[in-house]
Amino acid sequence: MGQIEWAMWANEQALASGLILITGGIVATAGRFTQWYFGAYSIAAGVFVCLLEYPRGKRAKGSTMERCGQRYMTAVVKLFGPLTRNYYVRALLHLALSVPAGFLLATILGTACLAIASGIYLLVSGVFC
Amino acid sequence: MGNWAVNEGLSIFVILVWLGMNVFLFVWYYRVYDIPDKFFYTRKLLGCCSTRVRRQLDRNLTFHKMVAWMIALHTAIHTIAHLFNVEWCVNARVGNSDSYSVALSKLGDRKNESYLNFVRDKIKNPEGGLYVAVTRLAGITGVVITLCLILIITSSTKTIRRSYFEVFWYTHHLFVIFFIGLAIHGAERIVRGQTMESLKEHSVKFCKEKITEWGKIKECPIPQFSGNPPMTWKWIVGPMFLYLCERLVRFWRSQQKVVITKVVTHPFKTIELQMKKKGFKMEVGQYIFVKCPTVSKLEWHPFTLTSAPEEDFFSIHIRIVGDWTEGLFNACGCDKQEFQDAWKLPKIAVDGPFGTASEDVFSYEVVMLVGAGIGVTPFASILKSVWYKYCNNATNLRLRKIYFYWLCRDTHAFEWFADLLQLLETQMQERNNADFLSYNIYLTGWDESQANHFAVHHDEEKDVITGLKQKTLYGRPNWDNEFKTIASQHPNTRIGVFLCGPEALAETLSKQCISNSESGPRGVHFIFNKENF
Repeated sequence: MGQIEWAMWANEQALASGLILITGGIVATAGRFTQWYFGAYSIAAGVFVCLLEYPRGKRAKGSTMERCGQRYMTAVVKLFGPLTRNYYVRALLHLALSVPAGFLLATILGTACLAIASGIYLLVSGVFC
Repeated sequence: MGNWAVNEGLSIFVILVWLGMNVFLFVWYYRVYDIPDKFFYTRKLLGCCSTRVRRQLDRNLTFHKMVAWMIALHTAIHTIAHLFNVEWCVNARVGNSDSYSVALSKLGDRKNESYLNFVRDKIKNPEGGLYVAVTRLAGITGVVITLCLILIITSSTKTIRRSYFEVFWYTHHLFVIFFIGLAIHGAERIVRGQTMESLKEHSVKFCKEKITEWGKIKECPIPQFSGNPPMTWKWIVGPMFLYLCERLVRFWRSQQKVVITKVVTHPFKTIELQMKKKGFKMEVGQYIFVKCPTVSKLEWHPFTLTSAPEEDFFSIHIRIVGDWTEGLFNACGCDKQEFQDAWKLPKIAVDGPFGTASEDVFSYEVVMLVGAGIGVTPFASILKSVWYKYCNNATNLRLRKIYFYWLCRDTHAFEWFADLLQLLETQMQERNNADFLSYNIYLTGWDESQANHFAVHHDEEKDVITGLKQKTLYGRPNWDNEFKTIASQHPNTRIGVFLCGPEALAETLSKQCISNSESGPRGVHFIFNKENF
């Protein structure tokens, strides 16, 4: 178990959460649900998370399969240096991003998924163990 | 053009039938809710329809993945549809909608009335919707099982599956929660329709425009409603039962005693386990699931059997690549230099054997066997078995010619298999049938120094790497040439092509089979069989 790089799973989970946030956001905005602006936020947050998580990080051990065309996003993500490199910061960022989406039923699934991804990143960040 | 239908036909047919059934069921149930009067008022309130989640038919990995994607797709459609429903139902209940819907939502407030709108508390959106999600069974089960599904999907991607197997394996067991939640998802019966008795007294066609007069005129008494009973459990309870049976069989089999009779360490981190189990019967190229409680109490891993059915033991060759295999390596004492006592060997549980395409090898006269890297293991079993059959009764054997291709990146992996080939080579020569087995070993990862070495020793009788009479070849095979040569040497024959290796190679070989097969019933036909784990 110690050899598992949980961050790889956190990355997949966060990417999926981004897509779910976008979908939920589109439903709320297009349907003009009550307080649909939370839906609009959800779309924006979802797009941001997807772009951030698209480049697959290099594994500590073994070879890494890059996602198709990820080098363009990698260049942008690297610009922010420690803000994006550090898993603890990423965990907090995802947690913060997930909160506003929790106010609408349409986007709450995105909140739950992103919060789980944040939790896994937190475990990996080395803050607790 | 080639014999495409023979190679791909059956799979495509099955998938088309299954997709057709999916489409049919979707349209059928759409019409169940869209057309009858029973759901007229329900439709007015909801404006949408229900969907069904597909049943689980576990035939093989590809089908499993297709079903999974179908489930995900229908979950998405279902969730989005009900998000709209909940939003509109809550709005109608709090009076934030057209007057018709508001009036419909008021049904059930007075005595002797049954409600239509399942939302009874007057909490406005967005809190109203969230309240429904956490207080109603459909809401709670819906959110929980969708989360489970998402976790299963994210941990099943190729990267996670190949690199962090435990994450994939354990998370996948969330499917238990998924299916239980799915079965009870509709138990609260919140989707409602007009009752049969009420439909007799209250005609929708006549009364639908007269909502203000309901209960006042005799033609239109207040309509009564009831909830739809859950239906999904009928689809899934059968497969769930079958799966439970399968796990029980596996548990029973795991209790049977398995003895490790020999452990052999081979170069390049490969070990061979020879075992015996009472009543164990196998066919060529089959695989077993192995559990070693010392290493992990819950994990079962598949391995191809490398022994022939004619031998009195069964064996597997395991390459050490991860946590579990390393644990097994240590448990068997392979890291120690001295001889290990038999009682020190760990307990093993075996489930299987399970069949694969290799069993079909003996039904052809000519076969092409292609193994890439460790994918050569099922062919170890086949070649050994062919050898035993040949020795025992050569005339009964339908197989006349084997073309064997082994693609390998580096030389180390040759050793244990090279011994087998050497034995076969010698035996064939003794029986004056050196042509029975023609094998080609391709070193796909050669470098400059190796190439120089080979060039110098090119004329020697035995190959410098393997010690075999047939020389090692370098780079990748030219499949087009190979297929055309074999086709010309065996006209009007059905040639079986068996592969155990990566996807890319499967696609190449599959295309070659199709393009080199002649379209008529006579003429040469290449039939492609692939196995992959």
